[in-house]
Amino acid sequence: MTDMSSALKIAAAGMRAQSARMRVIAENVANAGSTATGPDGQPYRRKIPVFTEELDRATGVHLVHMSKPIPDASKFRSVYDPGHPAADAKGFVKYPNVNSMVELMDMREAQRSFEANISVIENSRAMLSRTLELLRSR
Amino acid sequence: MSFTAMQALKAYGEAVNTAKVGGAGGEEAGAAKLDFGAMVKDAMNSVASDTAKAEQMAVGSATGKVDLIEVVSAVNEAEMTLQTVIAVRDQVIRAYQDILRMPI
Repeated sequence: MTDMSSALKIAAAGMRAQSARMRVIAENVANAGSTATGPDGQPYRRKIPVFTEELDRATGVHLVHMSKPIPDASKFRSVYDPGHPAADAKGFVKYPNVNSMVELMDMREAQRSFEANISVIENSRAMLSRTLELLRSR
Repeated sequence: MSFTAMQALKAYGEAVNTAKVGGAGGEEAGAAKLDFGAMVKDAMNSVASDTAKAEQMAVGSATGKVDLIEVVSAVNEAEMTLQTVIAVRDQVIRAYQDILRMPI
């Protein structure tokens, strides 16, 4: 495997990792209002996507891989709503520790990172094509 | 230019050899060394396998089994291989034609 196709493979891994991150962000955003159904239950806990380096043994290159998302240990939001089925004895309901603004920024970052990987692929392709042009034109 | 002509001579000589060997019915002597026909055949096989892989990926994507990114990289790879093979073939055939057009 040549360096150029390795670059393509690494960039593809990066794109895959960012897609996985988008999935986690989608989960967080979609569940931003998911409370428990009863007073003893727990609401949705925000997940944090974590990336790790992964050695591809076949080619010896370092790919990126999203490992299992880690739950965010921060405190839940407490909202006074005595009529809610999940309200405790004092009338407070625990809401997920998801901050839409944080998720929005995370999403933007995932998008930019994805685009950076696409740029790597585009440039590698362009370099390969230009090399091939040498053979074509005489 | 001289380099290309040399390449052409070599390819031509090997092509003639292959034709002779093929005519005599002995294929094993020609298979031992790398000739133009075998090179094209090998390259075509690799193109075919890459394209088949890309197609398999596309089918997998349609059924929701394979990531779109995988499909794109597989198609990309197949395209690159095909382009390379076409470029090499064109070059060799051009050299061969140069030989044919040579005034004797």
